[in-house]
Amino acid sequence: MSVVELSDVVKRYRNGQELIEALKRVDFHAERGEMVTVIGPSGSGKSTMLNLVGLLDTPTEGTVRLDGQDVTDFSEDELTEERRSGIGFVFQAFHLLPMLTATENVELPSMWDTSRDRRDRAIDLLQRVGLGDRLDHTPNQLSGGQQQRVAIARALINEPDILLADEPTGNLDQDTGRTILDELTRLKEDENIAIVSVTHDEQLVDYSDRIVRLVDGVIEQ
Amino acid sequence: MSITELLWRFPSVQMAWRNLGRNRVRTALAMLGIVIGVVAIASLGIAGVAIQQQATANLGSLTDEVMISAGPDSPEDGITEEQVTDIRSVAGDATVVPEKTNHTTLETRDGREVFVGVTGLTQASAMYTVSEGENPDRLQSGALLSNSTAQQLDLELGDPVEYDGQLYRIRGFVESQGGFGRGGRELVLPVSALSEQEYYGSVTIITEDGDQAQEVANALEARFNEGDDEVLSVTSFAAARENVGSFMNTLNLALLGIGSISLVVASVAILNVMLMSTIERRGEIGVLRAVGIRRGEILRMILAEATFLGIIGGFGGALASVGVGLVIFQLVTNDPMLIFSWPSLRYLLLGFGFAVVASMLSGLYPAWKAANDPPVEALRG
Ligand SMILES: Nc1ncnc2c1ncn2[C@@H]1O[C@H](COP(=O)(O)OP(=O)(O)OP(=O)(O)O)[C@@H](O)[C@H]1O
Ligand SMILES: [Mg+2]
Repeated sequence: MSVVELSDVVKRYRNGQELIEALKRVDFHAERGEMVTVIGPSGSGKSTMLNLVGLLDTPTEGTVRLDGQDVTDFSEDELTEERRSGIGFVFQAFHLLPMLTATENVELPSMWDTSRDRRDRAIDLLQRVGLGDRLDHTPNQLSGGQQQRVAIARALINEPDILLADEPTGNLDQDTGRTILDELTRLKEDENIAIVSVTHDEQLVDYSDRIVRLVDGVIEQ
Repeated sequence: MSITELLWRFPSVQMAWRNLGRNRVRTALAMLGIVIGVVAIASLGIAGVAIQQQATANLGSLTDEVMISAGPDSPEDGITEEQVTDIRSVAGDATVVPEKTNHTTLETRDGREVFVGVTGLTQASAMYTVSEGENPDRLQSGALLSNSTAQQLDLELGDPVEYDGQLYRIRGFVESQGGFGRGGRELVLPVSALSEQEYYGSVTIITEDGDQAQEVANALEARFNEGDDEVLSVTSFAAARENVGSFMNTLNLALLGIGSISLVVASVAILNVMLMSTIERRGEIGVLRAVGIRRGEILRMILAEATFLGIIGGFGGALASVGVGLVIFQLVTNDPMLIFSWPSLRYLLLGFGFAVVASMLSGLYPAWKAANDPPVEALRG
């Protein structure tokens, strides 16, 4: 069963008088242990699709399923619980909190869950992405590549089934981007998770198990 | 357990604390607004207390006294011995002091004459405070003389003064009391010294408190004055005290009202600061929501930020108010330590509580707004 699935999904935005159809009857799925890369020109609807997969937004029409469960009509609070337990995010701009150390940033998604102590897992994850010696550094003391690795560790803290990455290498040079992609590939296998990433970057294609081309809101096989 | 460990148990509080540390200048300015608000509300309240205490002190023991003199319908030119007996029975356990008054001139050593009032009574200690010498409960012999007159005449304890051909030895010097008090240019003698007067000029009743004074006054009116007749003229200052009290309450409310306005202004400043800082951190809050932080958790975090501003600002304001209060009490009552009495401490607590509550209320809208921002929108910035 697909860990996440969009079927016949339409997303429309109203921009004043104008009605923009960002996704036009899209079908998409991702499986555990695979890395799917969504490629397409700017404005083709990649981020829109990723937001639907990540339960950050709801479709205008169509169905979203997580592990076969229909979550399309979930309330915002129910979606938050699903994101918390099952989905990790990596953003182009890293989005770490500047006043927290690397370890605290990784712990962040589990911080309000005082029933378990995630510090050990946070340190373990940081060591696995090669930042064992940067645990107490704040984001402004880290390079871009290091910050993105902290973000990857943060995305994995709650043992998600899916990791979503919107242009994860977009703010990094080629070599650094490559180490990030190596990292993601390794973690995908270690943790047996689905990775869905969105990019302009052709480099990502080499690391993908599957490529989905999105043009003007329509998926081309 | 250290503070950080304790804070770590409350993630919202811990995050709030760190967020406030990010823009120290803004945080400090927001707190300054609260400090000023609290100082305004507390020091105006304290000023009210100080003025009230001073006003009550100035009225002094007068409010606990009933004064009686012969009224226009009295058959005699004064209060008779029988009336005094009746007054005693009406007054119950209150102290009844009948007095005769006259005046005379005393001579200084170099022959100058000084004009003094003469009071004849027995219970000297009930009516006078003595700064030097003795103050007899029952004045049977000798005399008391007011300080100022003694200085003028260059008299010392034990010196004689002459009244009506008799010599009286000075036993004590009477202190002059403020307000309507006694003790200015006065010679106090045993009542027997004025025996040429048949009747008493006045009777003073000293009661426990203003309420009892009012009761005694009413009872005396009923006993002696039938209908519109005024055989005895009975005066009590309890009503005056009540008037002063209600005026003070109005004054206090007005002062507090002015103080509250400044706290409202401070609240608006906090609202502004919190709104600005949540708008600035919109993307960041979007990230928190994306990684699964609940709406209630965001709400608590931002409310905690506002509450911190209120608690710290309120505490600073209360401290500053103690300083202002010391000055106020020094100026108004000459006793700065009165700031630590409950009536004024109350206003410090009030100011502090007001600051915390107002800050939380101002944090409510920004917190609610940030918590309910859809995560996609917030992430777009
Ligand atoms: N909130 C919104 N309101 C109105 N229109 C929107 C909104 N979000 C996206 N769109 C429109 O939907 C279309 C798809 O946008 P999307 O951000 O998904 O593109 P993208 O493929 O991620 O582009 P890029 O590669 O530049 O990031 C665009 O035409 C965009 O203008
Ligand atoms: Mg995009």
